[in-house]
Amino acid sequence: MSSGTYLEPADPTSHSAAERLQVAGLYSPSDAVLSVRDLNVRFNSENGVVHAVRGVDFDLMPGKTLGIVGESGSGKSVTSLAIMGLLPPTAEIAGSVRLLGKELLGLNDKAMCAYRGNDIAMVFQDPLSSLTPVFTVGAQITEALTIHNPTMSKQAKEARAVELLAMVGIPSPKDRLKAFPHEFSGGMRQRVMIAIAIANNPRVLIADEPTTALDVTIQAQVLEVLHTAQEETGAAVVMITHDLGVVAGIADDIMVMYAGRPVETGQVDDIYYDPRMPYTMGLLGAVPRVDVAEKTSLVPIEGIPPNLIYTPTGCSFAPRCPLVTDACRDGEPELLPAGGQPGHKAACIKSDALGSDADVLEIFSAPPVPVSRFDAIPRGERATVLELRDVRKHFPLTKGALLKRRIGTVKAVDGLSFDIREGECFSIVGESGSGKTTTLLEIMEFHKDQDGEVVIGGLSNKEATTGKARSAMRRELQMVFQDPTGALDPRFTVYEVLAEPLQNAGLDKQAIRKRIMELMKLVGLQPDHVNRFPNQFSGGQRQRVGIARALAVNPKLVVLDEPVSALDVSVQAGVINLLDQLRAELGLSYLMVAHDLSVVRHISNRVAVMYLGKIVEIGEVDRVFDNPRHPYTRALLSAIPVPDPQLERTRERIILQGDLPSPLDAPKGCNFATRCPVFAALPAAKQEKCLTLEPPLESVPASAAAQTLESGRVPPADQQFACFFPDGELAEDMLVVHETAEPHAP
Amino acid sequence: MTNLNAVDPAAVAQDAHLESADVIIGKSTIIFRRFMRNRTAVAGLLIFLGLTLFSFVGGYLTPWDKETIDPFNIAMPPSAEHYLGTSQAGIDLFAMTVEGTRISILIGLIVGLVSVLIAAVYGCTMAYFGGKVDKVMLFVLEALIMMPALLVVAVATSGGGDGLKKNLPSWLLLIIVLLVFSWMGTARLIRSLSMSLMQRDFVKAAQYMGVPPRRIVWRHLVPNIGSLLVLDITRGVTGAILAEVAFSFIGIGIKVPDVSLGVLIGGATSQVQTFPWMFWVPLTVMFLLTGSLAMMNDGLRDAFDPSSSSAGKAKKKNSVKEPAK
Repeated sequence: MSSGTYLEPADPTSHSAAERLQVAGLYSPSDAVLSVRDLNVRFNSENGVVHAVRGVDFDLMPGKTLGIVGESGSGKSVTSLAIMGLLPPTAEIAGSVRLLGKELLGLNDKAMCAYRGNDIAMVFQDPLSSLTPVFTVGAQITEALTIHNPTMSKQAKEARAVELLAMVGIPSPKDRLKAFPHEFSGGMRQRVMIAIAIANNPRVLIADEPTTALDVTIQAQVLEVLHTAQEETGAAVVMITHDLGVVAGIADDIMVMYAGRPVETGQVDDIYYDPRMPYTMGLLGAVPRVDVAEKTSLVPIEGIPPNLIYTPTGCSFAPRCPLVTDACRDGEPELLPAGGQPGHKAACIKSDALGSDADVLEIFSAPPVPVSRFDAIPRGERATVLELRDVRKHFPLTKGALLKRRIGTVKAVDGLSFDIREGECFSIVGESGSGKTTTLLEIMEFHKDQDGEVVIGGLSNKEATTGKARSAMRRELQMVFQDPTGALDPRFTVYEVLAEPLQNAGLDKQAIRKRIMELMKLVGLQPDHVNRFPNQFSGGQRQRVGIARALAVNPKLVVLDEPVSALDVSVQAGVINLLDQLRAELGLSYLMVAHDLSVVRHISNRVAVMYLGKIVEIGEVDRVFDNPRHPYTRALLSAIPVPDPQLERTRERIILQGDLPSPLDAPKGCNFATRCPVFAALPAAKQEKCLTLEPPLESVPASAAAQTLESGRVPPADQQFACFFPDGELAEDMLVVHETAEPHAP
Repeated sequence: MTNLNAVDPAAVAQDAHLESADVIIGKSTIIFRRFMRNRTAVAGLLIFLGLTLFSFVGGYLTPWDKETIDPFNIAMPPSAEHYLGTSQAGIDLFAMTVEGTRISILIGLIVGLVSVLIAAVYGCTMAYFGGKVDKVMLFVLEALIMMPALLVVAVATSGGGDGLKKNLPSWLLLIIVLLVFSWMGTARLIRSLSMSLMQRDFVKAAQYMGVPPRRIVWRHLVPNIGSLLVLDITRGVTGAILAEVAFSFIGIGIKVPDVSLGVLIGGATSQVQTFPWMFWVPLTVMFLLTGSLAMMNDGLRDAFDPSSSSAGKAKKKNSVKEPAK
């Protein structure tokens, strides 16, 4: 992993980090800042010794980024914590971790403190819990400076803190020093975390899933900040993630981990374009692509990672590998050079046979794309299963303890209308806070006092006042939750979980038994698993139980609230395939809420983009994604990372400034004006229109529709958007292309 | 209903994996193992069981009972005839201690169990319904907390409760009064816990399936705060035993001829100097009783707490290398 693809400076003012370091005479480029050799970590558990990390080796060059990729439980995070010396004392760590030639393993906590936060720093996954709520962010940044620079003056520290906050892109940094963490949004807090991490110009920065807890647009911002931070400090970065898309654009080298071992390492292009290990190929095939319209099934990697209590006798991936032969079970394969490129290594005895021409879908025998009986019927002729007419949900915002004054209204959902036809998957996308979940809850509540009309299967909420009518509606509409662990009562067996809706529907015991067995088969679970508790299943299986529960009463419409966002990529593919299959076989309709646009593109027929309680663009999924008209849709789409390093590096990205504005001070005209890249580039006269008038949701003009379609002779396109200037220029400073190595202005 | 009868190979593979790797350890097994690993807690459990056994079979070890007066041995120190000596009335102290221990354990267990049960149902109901129901129930709860329990106990067991007293033995009356005043703190705690449980998706899922509220409280909320309930039971038992001792000590709890540890201790305080055995024997038993429960409580908390640092037993089997810090 010595050779990298680090950027050449495009203009004379900016030097690449490695070059600047060379000039400073600090390191010669061949010297690794961090070198890990044969790292082994063992934990004691109730079941025995878990060998969580088994022989990890890597060298990290200054200014380079190493991406560590793998499923949960593959030992990525444990590796990083072992390097930082943050594992609990019960863990046994063996091997060698050298930082600038000095051995870190075996140092006691106190000696380790001299390195932590100074030479080696870490950014954690959850920004909400990694800042202390009782201190100001200024105090927390200063703390990091004080510990490692005891002689620094107070003024100098404050100046440095301001500089750091500005570097990570926090507006008016001087005032924000005195702010407390709760006054920041999640993305802002992650920026503060990065500022703290780079405070002492670390040589190595470890980022453990730094963007997993964030929205896509914020994820793009934070990745950008990390990139800037790396350029400013010249630090080497270890980026830990399960998302192959995230690292495609920023990593130089990739290490794929499985069952505590690296199974494939190499330069980023080699890994993505010429994978030589079936696991890597599976991971790449499991990711839905937001930029591909053609519909193929995803590659599910069957099974779950092995139990690390037992020493594997063969290749640890063999039980899940479609290409397994007896030779695979005979000893664990070594990490050997593969593919011909320098530094590219794979731990597979068949790596030579797997060229870039190998077809992942074929190898993993992905199921064929299921076809629904409704697919052939034009949309207009299918029955409507759900219709929303001008649904609103406003929350009053009050102030004062005794006398509550109304100081404003939060318009969580503001005049939403759409319909869902039989056999159709309709998705709502948008950032957190855009009102997606509130919309779902409004539908699930189904109450006559609601503002607006909800019609489910021909039954309106205005008429359904009796309990009987409401329970009839409950049979039409069921929900699958985001977190499969939270949605199943931990004290219920699967049988009890599935029996609950059936008992409620008044079925007798015999019928319930029969139906439960049917359901287990339907979602691909073993019928004899009914006596197990949810904690005895993996995440994907739990979500299957959740789906089975939703299907128990034979609903027509299933509401999916981020159904796969809590799952690993490989498991996610299996659940998506199942959902797709069920929709086709049972003629179900889905209403899905998701922030992962690639999943939406894969599974949906129609999509609505929401911003601050309003739909800004709605239409057929391919049309909206291939030809987005509203600037917000364009920004969302450009923020999605694509698992394709070359595309990712050269792609033009729109980085939205700031966060979703508080619904309280929503603008009078177009809601999006405060963050709009088009608006920022408009002349003042046109800006006036955006600020004062609210753009209505209108169909794509015939001419534009004709341009996008080859034939041109089609009925009005199924795409509506709310923007006055869809074709306007985008503001320069919101565009980022990495290849030009333009330092991103904070 | 469908033609989707093919069994997912993933599930099969996983099943085989789960079967072969014995990864499934029942939660109760884990809790039991963790509890047994805590020596103090096991010792506490043994002492408590020993005392319970003693309170039931102890009576057969001596020919005397708590009512027979031995006129030849009044206020005598321990001897071969009276293992623990006699009281000033000439009653065998061993027999009285056995009887007193039984009454104290009985009061402790009943009050501990029932008050936690009341608290669980009350707290969960409050949390589930929220709004007006919550406000009214909370008001009742607060009112009970502010009621001077001591006075009510005094009135109920001595003066005002004459009608009751005729029909009920004094220990039962004390149990009822203690019950009325012992569940509020736990109920408040359970209310706040349930409120956070209410936010969990499985409660929402049940609501969206149209499951009636009564069933949701009973089937989803109460079992899920189970571990807290177990802890609170041991605490409640200790509390009830101590309260009984305290009330009896100041003379408003158990009334003669019923005997309890508190009555014995209270009766002997004035003569600690002259007849020390009358005071120290019941006091030691009480210490053993409450002490053993406290020891158990610590172990139970360790066993139930999912974030407990109680490491696996596997550690002992292995040569432990010096972990890097």
